[in-house]
Amino acid sequence: MTLPAATSPAGDASGQEIPFPPAPIEELLRSFVKAVRAHQLYLPNNPVYKGAIDSVRAAFAPIWEQTDELPLKFSETDIKWFGRPVFSENTKSADSLPWTFFKDGVREIQLMPGFEEDELVKLFDILQRVRKASPEEDDLLTLLWQADFANLRYRYVDLGAEPGSGLADGSDKPEPWSPERVRAGAREEAEESRATVVNMQDFDATLYFLDEKELDYLRLEVVREYADDLRQNVIAILFDIYEAQSAPAVRAEVSELIETLMLMLLAAGQLRSVAYLLAETQVVAKRASGMTPEQVERLGRLPQRLSSPEPLAQLLQGLDESADLPPQLELTQLFEQLHPTALETVFAWMSRLQNPKIRPLVEQAADRLASSNTAELVKLILSRDRAVAREAVRRAGAMKTSAAVVPMAKLLTDNDDASLRLLTVQALTDIGSAGALQALERSIEDSDRDVRVAAARTLGAKAYRGVFGRLEGVVKGKAIRGADLTEKMAFFEVYGALCGDGGVAWLDSILNSKGMFGKREDSEWRACAAIALGRIASKRAQEALQRAAGEKDIVVRNAVSRALRTPAAGPPSR
Amino acid sequence: MTTAQPARRATVTITAPVGEGSGDSLLRQLGRAFIVTLYSALRSVKLYPPGHSTVSKALEDLATISREIASTEHGLELRVSGEFMFVNGTRLRLDLDNYASFSHVLSVFRVCGIGQLHVDEAIAPRDWQVFLSLVQVGIDMPPDERLPQLVEKLKAANVTTLVLSEPTEESGEDRERSKERAKKTYAQSVAVTKDLMTSVRMGKSPNIKKIKRVVQGIVDQILNEEASLIGLTTLRDYDEYTFSHSVNVCIFSVALGKRLGLTKLQLYDLGMAALFHDIGKSRVPIEILNKAGGLTDDEWRLVACHPWLGVLALFQVRGSQEFPYRSMVVAIEHHMKLDLTGYPKPIRARQLSIFSKIVAAADGFDAATSRRAYQTVPFNPAEVMKELRDNPRRGMDPVVVKAFINLTGIYPTGTLVVLDTFELGIVHAPNPLPEMLARPLVKVISDSMGNLSHPGTLIDLADRKEDGTFQRTIIKTEDAERYGVRVSDYFV
Repeated sequence: MTLPAATSPAGDASGQEIPFPPAPIEELLRSFVKAVRAHQLYLPNNPVYKGAIDSVRAAFAPIWEQTDELPLKFSETDIKWFGRPVFSENTKSADSLPWTFFKDGVREIQLMPGFEEDELVKLFDILQRVRKASPEEDDLLTLLWQADFANLRYRYVDLGAEPGSGLADGSDKPEPWSPERVRAGAREEAEESRATVVNMQDFDATLYFLDEKELDYLRLEVVREYADDLRQNVIAILFDIYEAQSAPAVRAEVSELIETLMLMLLAAGQLRSVAYLLAETQVVAKRASGMTPEQVERLGRLPQRLSSPEPLAQLLQGLDESADLPPQLELTQLFEQLHPTALETVFAWMSRLQNPKIRPLVEQAADRLASSNTAELVKLILSRDRAVAREAVRRAGAMKTSAAVVPMAKLLTDNDDASLRLLTVQALTDIGSAGALQALERSIEDSDRDVRVAAARTLGAKAYRGVFGRLEGVVKGKAIRGADLTEKMAFFEVYGALCGDGGVAWLDSILNSKGMFGKREDSEWRACAAIALGRIASKRAQEALQRAAGEKDIVVRNAVSRALRTPAAGPPSR
Repeated sequence: MTTAQPARRATVTITAPVGEGSGDSLLRQLGRAFIVTLYSALRSVKLYPPGHSTVSKALEDLATISREIASTEHGLELRVSGEFMFVNGTRLRLDLDNYASFSHVLSVFRVCGIGQLHVDEAIAPRDWQVFLSLVQVGIDMPPDERLPQLVEKLKAANVTTLVLSEPTEESGEDRERSKERAKKTYAQSVAVTKDLMTSVRMGKSPNIKKIKRVVQGIVDQILNEEASLIGLTTLRDYDEYTFSHSVNVCIFSVALGKRLGLTKLQLYDLGMAALFHDIGKSRVPIEILNKAGGLTDDEWRLVACHPWLGVLALFQVRGSQEFPYRSMVVAIEHHMKLDLTGYPKPIRARQLSIFSKIVAAADGFDAATSRRAYQTVPFNPAEVMKELRDNPRRGMDPVVVKAFINLTGIYPTGTLVVLDTFELGIVHAPNPLPEMLARPLVKVISDSMGNLSHPGTLIDLADRKEDGTFQRTIIKTEDAERYGVRVSDYFV
């Protein structure tokens, strides 16, 4: 369809006299093209961009001094003003301004004052979008239409338009009545119709005016129309169809649509809708009548599919790279729909996440997933992937999962990663059950110093007597003498807390006895004994400490003073 | 008569289907504020005595905003044209927040015969008070005398800051061009809809760009001049019923949406959904759709599948990025009633979308007034409208139906009416005066002796005689076929 050129304010003015010299228009279009490029290349706060936009705006000024309307016509390579070329580009590419307009059917635009202020940048946005657009995307005409410009008008030819078949009423032409019949018809029953058809109430025009309440109702309805989650609505519709229609072909088609929709929603980051979709698959699988095993299996595959490592890793990667994060609620709802098998992938990704904003969101979601799938969590403690095992241990501890004790005990004995063993000790400490403490017993002899200290402190703090035999072996063994002061102190404190009065004699001998040639034990060793005696806090222990009160060795004296101040046996200090 | 000095930009003419849309410029915002303030002042002057603080405040506000616009824009001119208002040549956009104000101001201007109002920068509250008091009583005078009397009285009251002039008549040529454009839009819409349905029937992806363009055309046409396009909905092509019905529903829905204050882009969404509402029929066997006479229960059941079949079909229609979700919702809901009876019966909780309610009303009206395979005798439009309004079992939203009647009048376009002169008439368009809904513009197609004529004479049933009584009044509606009249002949 070509719009009649005769209606154009500019007209097809080839050969017409131009109203003023074209130089300002040529200048304007040169600035315009530069600004279009600047718009593509620079951010709005860039001085180059600002300069380019200002130039275009300034270039309009001399034109508006001459006219109120600037009509420009487009051919493949030229822009014409009153038939005279004012801008040319020989290429027919996306970079060519005339071609960009021409190829989508725009044949003329009219610019009016004010365009350069409010709408110039909006047009640049459109031109940029349309240059990058694929054939399926909206073309220039649709974008111009949607932009609803006030000071830009355009004419176009609709390249894909149907010619239209002309207008005709296809119904049979009735035989016209004779005047007599018409007259009789019009007059028949006229009197009684007067009372029934022309109802006085119908004359009350206010009846058909919307009152405030009705306007409010409509306002709210329109707001709701645009606030509602359309995707979720359509998912609900699809599941309704699935449930109501038992024909296998229909169910197969709907299943396929649901699968497609899920992928699209994931790609679009519509996580709440994905969560709803997954939840509804389970509802339908249970509720729909006449479900065949294949149909149940097909529906069940959806959550499984998302829970499997690769799609889930894609999701997490997408979240990590996303600049626009989904709300916590959406993420939570989605993770609630994942199968237990998803936990391993989530845990694996926890340490890889780079986006500091996404981490707490995923962490919280992972907590929920772990808490509702304890068996899977326990299984993952022994995962070969250290990142997975760490997350599993950490969460099992935080959740005080008793079932995690056995794999943790195994991890403490079998795993060569000291930091993981240390984390396990901490987790077992958090669990704090008898089984957990028992699992820690052997760790006081762990090859790693931090693991040993942590285990010993936990067992002391919990006054776990079950470890005493093993502990006594350690403190009375040779290896401990080579340990640093902190470790020695830790072990002696625990020993003091557990040994009772029975340990005083040995400790007193370390603190106060002299060996051959009157030589005493080394200062650190005596200090450790003093600390242990302080923990015992019995009368005999106090007496032993009092005997060392006048000690000249400053390390020992300090330890004795501290031990004497210890009010009663309690958990060792950390 | 005094005439206004037009503002410079007021000379710009709109030439559809030019994209004459509306970025929300400062002038538009000021213009809307001006109309809302004018409306408040009109109400205050009507409700309170002069000198009341509410009146003083309203007049002061009105004078302030008038001066502000006149000073920043180098003049203030309010022009009324058809259903639009222009401030300094810029068309103001309706929305739900200013709907009532616009409608009232528009109606006051029409009643008083004012086409343009030029406001001087020196306007004072007292000038507005005089003007607003005069327009309240203007309706009691004969139509032709209202504007001259107003101008005279303003002059007598020494108001020189307000200059009134009569509406600029649309030339016959313009009217013809507008009608031609409407015909072209309609014909193209039917062709594209046919193409759409055929593509879906054959399992192909329809050309979404064409469909978008068609709906954009309908929205443009409805926004610029809706009467011509609505008149074309009286065309009843028996063979092309499904296609023309979809186009008609689109036209009615967009016009109704406009009446409800939807924005241009919302009208576009609504138009797309309306055009697609019956797309599911393209999956119903064609021999059932075209079967003459009654359908069997099984055949009815198949036809009743079209809402959900439509949803599945719409997955074939994909635009640039997204599936047409809104259209899917309308397709499934357009036969559901307000209480969610109707068909299909939803299983999950659902609240009907306002777009579905609009399309349902448009669909119900057009279907009942059309002749199609399984409804050989169409119902009278006025009766259909009454049924939609009065029968709650139809399940229509009463507010939407109310607005529909506001759009079409009590006697919808295409209704054959008998006048108290015993002339026959076909309703051409609702009366632009809102209080004259029962007095549409009518094409008189026969004289009182029963002699049919073509193309007929357009009259306004709101016109009065010298004594103030109406010249003609509808006494009954009639079935056009009963009189051997094909209504569409008077529109095409």
